[in-house]
Amino acid sequence: MKSNIMTRDTVPPITLPSEKTLLDMFYYMKLTRELEFRIERKLYRQGRIVGGVYVGRGQEAIAVGGCVDLRQDDVVCPSHRDMGAYLIRGMSLRTILAQYMARKTGATQGKDGNMHMGDLSKGLIAFVSMLGDSVPVAMGIGLSFKMRRQDRVVLCFFGDGATSRGDWHEGVNMAAVSKVPVVFICNNNQYAYSTPLERQMAVENVADRAEAYGMPGEIVDGNDILEVWDSVTRAIQRARAGEGPTLIECKTFRMTGHSAHDDAGYVPPELFEFWEERDPIKRFERFLMDRGVIDKPAIEELEGRINREIDEAIQIAEKDPFPEPEDCLKDVYYEE
Amino acid sequence: MALTTYVEAIRQGIWEEMEKDESVFVLGEDVGIYGGAFKVTAGMLERFGEWRVIDTPISESGIVGAAIGAALMGMRPVAEMQFADFISCAFDQITNFAAKSRYRWGAGVPIVVRGPSGGGVHGGPFHSQNPEMYFVHTPGLKVVCPSTAYDAKGLIKAAIRDPDPVIYFEHKFLYRRVKEELPSDDFVVPIGKAAIRRKGSDMSVITYGAMVYVALDAAKELEKQGIDLEVIDLRSLLPFDKEAVLESVKKTNKVILLHEDTQIGGFAGELAAIISEEAFEYLDGPIRRITAPNTPVPYSPPLEEFFLPKVSDVVRVARELYAY
Amino acid sequence: MAETKVIMPQMGESIFEGTITKWLKKKGERIERDEPLFEISTDKIDTEIPSPASGVVQDILVKEGQTVQINTVVAVIGDGSGKPAAKETPREEQKQAPKEVKGPAPVAGPTEETKKEETAARTEQAPPQTVPQGAPQSPPQKEAASDEDIRSSPLVRRIAKENNVDLSALSGKGTGIDGRITKSDILSYIEQSGKKETASPAPPSKPSTAPAAPPMKFTGDVERVQLTAMRKAISEHMVMSRRTSAHVTTFFEVDCSRILKTKEKLQPDFEQSGVRLTVTPFFVQAAANALKRFPIVNSSLDGDTIVYKRAINIGIAVSLEWGLIVPIIKNADEKNLLGLSKILNDLGERARNKKLTPEDVKDGTFTITNPGQYGGLIGTPIINQPQVAIMGMGGIKKRAVVIDDAIAIRPIILLSLSFDHRVIDGAVADQFMADIQKQLENWPTS
Repeated sequence: MKSNIMTRDTVPPITLPSEKTLLDMFYYMKLTRELEFRIERKLYRQGRIVGGVYVGRGQEAIAVGGCVDLRQDDVVCPSHRDMGAYLIRGMSLRTILAQYMARKTGATQGKDGNMHMGDLSKGLIAFVSMLGDSVPVAMGIGLSFKMRRQDRVVLCFFGDGATSRGDWHEGVNMAAVSKVPVVFICNNNQYAYSTPLERQMAVENVADRAEAYGMPGEIVDGNDILEVWDSVTRAIQRARAGEGPTLIECKTFRMTGHSAHDDAGYVPPELFEFWEERDPIKRFERFLMDRGVIDKPAIEELEGRINREIDEAIQIAEKDPFPEPEDCLKDVYYEE
Repeated sequence: MALTTYVEAIRQGIWEEMEKDESVFVLGEDVGIYGGAFKVTAGMLERFGEWRVIDTPISESGIVGAAIGAALMGMRPVAEMQFADFISCAFDQITNFAAKSRYRWGAGVPIVVRGPSGGGVHGGPFHSQNPEMYFVHTPGLKVVCPSTAYDAKGLIKAAIRDPDPVIYFEHKFLYRRVKEELPSDDFVVPIGKAAIRRKGSDMSVITYGAMVYVALDAAKELEKQGIDLEVIDLRSLLPFDKEAVLESVKKTNKVILLHEDTQIGGFAGELAAIISEEAFEYLDGPIRRITAPNTPVPYSPPLEEFFLPKVSDVVRVARELYAY
Repeated sequence: MAETKVIMPQMGESIFEGTITKWLKKKGERIERDEPLFEISTDKIDTEIPSPASGVVQDILVKEGQTVQINTVVAVIGDGSGKPAAKETPREEQKQAPKEVKGPAPVAGPTEETKKEETAARTEQAPPQTVPQGAPQSPPQKEAASDEDIRSSPLVRRIAKENNVDLSALSGKGTGIDGRITKSDILSYIEQSGKKETASPAPPSKPSTAPAAPPMKFTGDVERVQLTAMRKAISEHMVMSRRTSAHVTTFFEVDCSRILKTKEKLQPDFEQSGVRLTVTPFFVQAAANALKRFPIVNSSLDGDTIVYKRAINIGIAVSLEWGLIVPIIKNADEKNLLGLSKILNDLGERARNKKLTPEDVKDGTFTITNPGQYGGLIGTPIINQPQVAIMGMGGIKKRAVVIDDAIAIRPIILLSLSFDHRVIDGAVADQFMADIQKQLENWPTS
């Protein structure tokens, strides 16, 4: 066992967050799940979406658990499995749906599609398709906090596949050398498109690499939102205190294809069955109900609310205009 | 007043911007303690401290990515590529993250990526390249190539102040060979404007970088032979000064496009197309190009001499064109 | 005698010169290979330089404190027996011996002329001069040589178009490679052809041709026939002439009795010499004499300058089935009736057989035309540019005229003179014609 790498049995027990936080966690996970369900399984198959669809089904606990307690002035570099991050940071349902529908009112005004969204005012950094590129960028963001002596932090989300890229190595290495306030969160959903983990890396855990870079690493159950939240919270504290970056690996599973047009036929069905039992939302629902934080009517009411919000947003977004053809030429450079 | 070399001019430009604006900082390999492989950042660590002059690991892509992240947070990073040749390691960050950021999600990335390009120093294939066209080909970037000490200083300032990503190629051959007296005030050379280095009436040579001096030397030769060359120094490739190019061509009616970069995909091809499209009826002869051949930059002196365009090339082509 | 040259090394890629700070050996001293020989200072580094060879320091060519370019020979190591080498100058760039430049001298553009509002500012070719210089006589059906047959360039073609120059006029006269017409060729041509035009190659601010005629509207059946080159040239010239000159026509009656008598008398002699005598030479001679006395009728207007021509070259308009041509009788004032007749015969013959040369049709100063040849009274001819007057001859008809208050029958011809009122006033025109009238009516018959 590597000395730097923490697992559940090497860290203190979790102190629960406030009830408000617990309810927020639940709400955002449910919202993420329902929104992505509608996009992937309904709208896309109804031909109402333009281009590709990538959802984080089954991995909702990671983005939500990581982002729910961030400060307004913190920054997030999400990936395509992190819809929850966008929702928590304040991107509206209408903007997200308009984005998927290529409308002018989408997050990128039609310039880019699906999850390639960003909004500096909400501390959301738009990622590029070259996954792994965001890691040095996150490092630079953390560097700017350190240079200005701010106690802000940046969370950088990426998958198991992205860790194979050279940029991942360069960014993580530089972050460790400069001790910048970044929390690197790996969503290890064990498949990069059709490539299973054992073809992606020769080590068992992504977090095993943390020691090699000279930073603490932690392995958590990515489908347990409290574990995720706890681990990220401690990492954030260390970062704010100037102790540098942490690499957190969230073990989870990708409960759908790589994209909406991928049926994941290469995944043994037993794996789906195994992980279905460990669904993060179901688990958390049971937990909350057991503790009396929520009851069935409240859940139903919440589900109803979520559905209405999404329905409304779909209606509005679908009526939104497409961009003008000449908008193609706009905003390549700064324009006064 | 003392003459300032081209390399010193760049150093002054960065230094003065760092004095003026706390958000300007430098990062790269060997830029801090060593003062930069070519001494461009000499003295800066002592003056500005380790958080504004950052020695990085060998990670060109990481360096540019970090610059992007910092720029998104409002800083003004100046990232050094120790040799411009190494910029290829950061190609993805530059062309996909930085260049497209404003277009996609309205977030400007005000970074400067600078490094010494060009040959003539027996540097071989990886220390002598002219990589500018990979970036001229990428909308969202700006690309500049100064040839004088004045322009080196003025353009590095303009690049640092620009709200968009600027790739700044300084020519290593000119580092210490070019010097002039510089004004003491805070001057900036606008990006996108060419300079007329020599007014002439018989034909125009459009060029940039170290080749400006080849063109001027050729002009002196040709003057003795009754051929009066006009030499236009582009200074910026993206955006470039189309008006200046067309005005010169319309005046002299014959044009030579000269650059040290290789021929295929070099900027001369782009200029030739534009001149043909927009000044066809002003041409009294075919558009001529003088470039390096389509090979990597070789190392051994006779090979490199063959590779680089020289004064005799310009003189020969000018005479052919004059007689047409 | 083995010698090794010691050079200033390049201590870094951007370094191109170095300063000798200290010689560690003196001339004549022994040195081993790799032993430090001298110290240098450059922008980047100060260092010792080891000797490349063993031997004796034969020559030290660069002093301490001196800065030289890299690769300069700073010393020579010998084996101890040799003479000092000649001092080498620091390496310089080889200057190439300039070769003679082939090609036209730098272009002197056309001088800025005062600009005229009318299209007189453009170069035009008079229809008689459509014969391309240097080319053989061609049937009028031949189109003007297309621009593509003549090597030029986009710039040259544009200048030609703007100045209404037919590039075929410069055919064979290009000074560029393979006879290409260059910018300086066409600019010289435009300047030398003596016409006013705007300085090229600036695009003109006025259209280069007359406003287009309104499109023809006719709803019945038509047959369309393209204008021949000659017809086109004639049509353009006629319109241009009308626009250029202030045309006024004056009419004179002339009693031809005496010239007809003279003609009858001379005819047999002429025919013996194989020369056909018509009335035309009489009119030519009368005109020539009058032109001597009224030189303004023999002039041209160039901008605001009247150009008086010394020669009197009278052109005779010849109408042929395929068009109009005006062969010139050069120096008509120097010829007598016989001479004039001969020339007229010859020109007429060659005109009909399409054997006129460019010389035959150029440099006319006055023109005579014969509109009455088909029985008409008289016509109002159009001036043949760049001349300032043209005389028309009507048909000779027997008329009842009043002489000394009695009616007599006389052969009468109507003469018209169309003149350019910019240069010639009516009074002068009439005096000119009165002179001709007087000569003709008082022709010596013996």
